[in-house]
Amino acid sequence: MTERISALKQYQWDKRHHAFRLRAAPEAAGYQLLGVPDYERTALRLTSALQAETPVILPGEMIAFTRTVPNLPMIYTDKEWEDIRKKHTIHENGNVCNLSPDYSSVIRVGLLALRDTLTDTAYHQAMAISIDAVLDLAGRYRVAAEKAGDTALAGILARVPAQGAKSFREALQSLRILHFAMWCEGNYHNTLGRFDQYMMPYLEEDLKAGNITPEEAFELLEAFFLACNRDSDLYPGMQQGDNGQSMVLGGMTPQGGDGFNLLSEMCLKACQDLKLIDPKINLRVSSQTPLHIFELGTQLTRLGLGFPQYENDDVAIKGLMRLGYAEEDARDYAVAACWEFIIPGKGMDIPNIGALSFAGVVSGTLREALPGAASMQEVTRAVEEAVFARVDALAGSFGSLYVIPSPFMSLFFEGCLKKGQDISLGCKYNNYGLHGTGLATAADMLAAVEKAVFGEKLPVPVLLAALDADFKGYEALRDTLRQDSPKMGNDDDAADQYAVQLLDMFSRAVEGHKNERGGIFRAGTGSAMYYVWHGNDLGATPDGRMKGEPLPANYAPSLNVRLNGPLSLIKSFTKPDLSRAINGGPLTIEFSDTVFRNGEAIRKVAQLVMMFVRLGGHQLQLNTVNREQLLDAQAHPERHRDLIVRVWGWSGYFVELDKCYQDHIISRAELGA
Amino acid sequence: MGGPKGIVFDVKEFALYDGPGIRTTVFMKGCPLRCSWCHNPEGLSKEPQMLLPKEGPPRLSGQAWDAGDLAGRLLKHRDFYQMSGGGVTFSGGEPLWQWPFVREVLDQLEGVHTAVETSGHVPDEVFDEAMKAFDLVMLDIKSVDDRTHRKFTGSGNARILSHARALCAGKTPFIIRLPLIPGVNDSLENMEAAAWFLKGAKQLVRVEMLPYHQAAGAKYGMAGVLFDPGFDTNRQPRAHSEPFKRLGIPVIVF
Repeated sequence: MTERISALKQYQWDKRHHAFRLRAAPEAAGYQLLGVPDYERTALRLTSALQAETPVILPGEMIAFTRTVPNLPMIYTDKEWEDIRKKHTIHENGNVCNLSPDYSSVIRVGLLALRDTLTDTAYHQAMAISIDAVLDLAGRYRVAAEKAGDTALAGILARVPAQGAKSFREALQSLRILHFAMWCEGNYHNTLGRFDQYMMPYLEEDLKAGNITPEEAFELLEAFFLACNRDSDLYPGMQQGDNGQSMVLGGMTPQGGDGFNLLSEMCLKACQDLKLIDPKINLRVSSQTPLHIFELGTQLTRLGLGFPQYENDDVAIKGLMRLGYAEEDARDYAVAACWEFIIPGKGMDIPNIGALSFAGVVSGTLREALPGAASMQEVTRAVEEAVFARVDALAGSFGSLYVIPSPFMSLFFEGCLKKGQDISLGCKYNNYGLHGTGLATAADMLAAVEKAVFGEKLPVPVLLAALDADFKGYEALRDTLRQDSPKMGNDDDAADQYAVQLLDMFSRAVEGHKNERGGIFRAGTGSAMYYVWHGNDLGATPDGRMKGEPLPANYAPSLNVRLNGPLSLIKSFTKPDLSRAINGGPLTIEFSDTVFRNGEAIRKVAQLVMMFVRLGGHQLQLNTVNREQLLDAQAHPERHRDLIVRVWGWSGYFVELDKCYQDHIISRAELGA
Repeated sequence: MGGPKGIVFDVKEFALYDGPGIRTTVFMKGCPLRCSWCHNPEGLSKEPQMLLPKEGPPRLSGQAWDAGDLAGRLLKHRDFYQMSGGGVTFSGGEPLWQWPFVREVLDQLEGVHTAVETSGHVPDEVFDEAMKAFDLVMLDIKSVDDRTHRKFTGSGNARILSHARALCAGKTPFIIRLPLIPGVNDSLENMEAAAWFLKGAKQLVRVEMLPYHQAAGAKYGMAGVLFDPGFDTNRQPRAHSEPFKRLGIPVIVF
């Protein structure tokens, strides 16, 4: 890290740039009175938000743009919004979110070239207003840079994002401005996509022409990464850190080549150097990926940042194609805020529109079906019916979706400009995704029932009474169910076979369902924050879990299960056909930080990841944790401000999380050396 | 099914410091030595025993395994071993104390790289057979000084050193492990003596130094054993690796 970067990092860490933040949001411009259509309201709001910004040049920064107005007004009155909510399905907070914009073409041609192609239709004019607002702020930043005596920065701002970028630094600055403007448009979980793919041409050219040294390029890259951490506390999410600034590195190119390049490696090293929560790295790998790339990833894991998350091209590309994605698009997949597979510039998928609670469905079915069931086959048949019924209900529950339009964001998506159609209304892909939560707990329930009820002849009324009593007075039965039943994660088919069956049921259940936008439904293994919600809702379960005990996050074994170890865990979790659960959701393994004592251990962990990929895992995320440290951080947050943890699909600062999320992290299984 | 049963107190997957590659380590119960720093007190007694952790329910340590069942369990992860150049390690306790059982498991692990972590404090004929049966032998030398050895482990080291000599002259790849105990065996002279002892051994892969960790005492309460090691547990042991390096012996500190 150069002195300049180190000073800027400290400056941001001390939050000195927060001094420039204004308190009040800009006025909502009374759009409703003017009878202005929604897309134009968004454009007008973007204009007023950017006009309210004061250009700030931080000491030593190379990549400018700092938010000074923390929040945005709504484009609707409360009354209008209430009416819209009554008539429509609203996803999360209603804005465009969780997409992978195609930055590359906008950075390459510049905003003015796009503006030149706009007609005088009302929608195109909203795009023009948005572009003008962004260019106006860039112009004011240029003046500020000149005043500050930074002629290099001023020169860059005189060109981008109006013109196409001609250098690595221009491309980074252009990206910073475009990304900044998306947040000001009201969009969120704005991901960075395949950064190493669309940025590499600029870096390559600069290096070849001798315009820049590799060291200078690395400094610029770190400056850009720092910029990603500058305003991220203002980005809306479920928890601090859940801001969607994910970046995807490596992987197959749309033409079928290997995309891992010099910049991919530089990004991994910059993260290792900076140790910050953003950008959150996804590393695309395959059975062809050499060990040293896994080792680079493991170096990051060792720091406890909770990333990289690995995506397996072999499984993801095949799975996406099976869902109808074109081959070159499937090869070009990125990852949305957490783990959802999404296509840059082409996907308006909503991969987190709902969730199937495996644990809830199985628990409910067992209570109903067990008294009359003569065999395990009858039980699983009832479960299958329930899964199908639940998916049918879910698939029918997202009618009349309304998303607040985003004319600026639409510039980054195929066909939106040409057709004059906003991205909020759809793009090439309009699929909906369903998470699948508590899979392992559901499989454990079925395995426990098979052993206790059908194997050892535990009377069903006793089991049901114990569940109703939350095991009060049935402690011995609870311990037996908890400790002596097969559990998913121990490479034991007695439990794993049920996970295989349940995921198979889920992927068959979504087949054939169409959403109102012509898209399909995708089944997944993710949980997002549903693991807390679904766990709270659920009474005692036959695997010995008590009422309200949390479910595992994402694709992971139940909590409080004694595990054989990482090899069995990986075996268990690669048994299902994961190419059919390609909405995403990683297997998460927590390692004690004592695992990483030397370089040999790094290599072994890297080999473990490699094996997961070869066995057909889809996504993997490794955490390095230290239980004592986490407990101490709960007691003394002031001593652990920089402690980073992975939550469900993103990394954040531990001390800034709500207690329920902190507790869940502490109680996850930890595998030591 | 008629073969001897083995008493095992843990099967640890992805054991990172028990030999090359991704390995699973089998911890055999029972040990003839009583090293005062032992961090696995549940490995001392040959019999299964109840452990009483501070939190959570009592736990039985020590399970009788059939050789075929254990081999089956270990073979499930053969793909991991092969991909990474890893395999299976037997540790303990003293794994060679249950040699007939271990040998029977080994016979069923064909094609898997096998290693043993041994104190060497076993009969000559057992050590001899083991040297032939394992792909890698990892031998502990606690002290080259007989008196120190006797004081802190309860036994002299003559037999152990003679087995170390056999390894130096033999054909089996081996690793020498030196637990570093503050004030007991971590002096420069001790390391010099060990280095000269090993000089010229053709099959010596490397020397591994294992500094004593304070956490070692943690399991004692659980096993109902008093932890009274007779040395200053608060002092960091020294790791003198120079004597080995000077003689061209690869050395690593864990």
